[in-house]
Amino acid sequence: MTKAFTEIGAKPLPQETNSCWSCGSMRAAHFCEACGKVQPPAPVDYFSFFGLPAKLTIDVPALEKEFYHLSRKLHPDLSARAGSQEQQWSLEQSSLLNDAYRTLRDPIKRTQYLLRLEGVELEEQSKSATEQARATGGVKKQIVPPDLLEEVFELNMQLEELKMNKQTEEDDAALTAEIARHKVALEEKYESLLQELQSYWKQWDALMERNPRAESAERKQITGKMVDVLNRRNYIRNLVRDVNTALEC
Amino acid sequence: MSYSDKVIDHYNNPRNVGSLDKSSTDVGTGLVGAPECGDVMKLQIKVNRETNVIEEAKFKTFGCGSAIASSSLATEWVKGKTVDEALSIKNMDIVKELSLPPVKIHCSVLAEDAIRAAIGDWKKKQEVAKPVVAEAK
Repeated sequence: MTKAFTEIGAKPLPQETNSCWSCGSMRAAHFCEACGKVQPPAPVDYFSFFGLPAKLTIDVPALEKEFYHLSRKLHPDLSARAGSQEQQWSLEQSSLLNDAYRTLRDPIKRTQYLLRLEGVELEEQSKSATEQARATGGVKKQIVPPDLLEEVFELNMQLEELKMNKQTEEDDAALTAEIARHKVALEEKYESLLQELQSYWKQWDALMERNPRAESAERKQITGKMVDVLNRRNYIRNLVRDVNTALEC
Repeated sequence: MSYSDKVIDHYNNPRNVGSLDKSSTDVGTGLVGAPECGDVMKLQIKVNRETNVIEEAKFKTFGCGSAIASSSLATEWVKGKTVDEALSIKNMDIVKELSLPPVKIHCSVLAEDAIRAAIGDWKKKQEVAKPVVAEAK
């Protein structure tokens, strides 16, 4: 993942690499359309690797189809009898393909990847809030709503109680029922956070359609909202996981 | 990655786990979260009205070993300090003491945030408690 990512700022490939190194025809990005030979990996981000614009709403079945198509063309076995340089390219292309596919097919990883491309550090908000509190001697402004923190804390207390009851074999049916109710509510919230995220995808995609070189302020306005959702989602994700473990054992 | 002995010690024998009376005017409560990992930490202090010395500190943390150790250590450190002295505790002090690796630095930040939040809450209560004095000025 880091590989393609660090290479994003790289200059476009020299003109001559647009033709196949082997037969000289115009080539596709990863392999030559004319002779099928694998090409040296281009320094591109994952979206560009698949020939996609940096948009977040993705046709995943189409992506999967393209992944399998490219996998067959780029597989290292195909160049097993080729020269070592060609084998190396094939290996690099395949590994880039796998990383790109795994990142883009997952809605959260895809969002995180785009945020990184945009230079947004997920921890940045939290860090700068701490620094501001330090400078002013005040209280840090929490990144997520305080009632979410309260809810997370309270539910964790209940889970701990449930765990202790189980150890002493005291069955607290009322507590178990309450936690089970919470579980349903949490899963709904988890789902609705994804929908909220998708609404920001739409805003982002619309911006990219209107102006792919939009000013950073305009980009940040949308990416900031995505960071917010991802932050809240981390808490809910942990809670869903812990509630499930507590109810199972 | 392995935890340092000090982290393991605090994790196995956390100091000052528990809670203080949230509604008491002598008690300050800080509830903070680390959005990076979804951890939550509650830290409470009880402050002597005359001396501003923190007499008691309690915590409860739901998170990884480093978060628990950081908050456990934080309660140990603030006890016996005045409010102003406690405010000077920095997360890097905790990092050093517990030998936290870079990926766990945010756990120590969380503890620093919690100290400041608890003190902030206590200060707010003191202002509310003496509105007459404030007006007289």
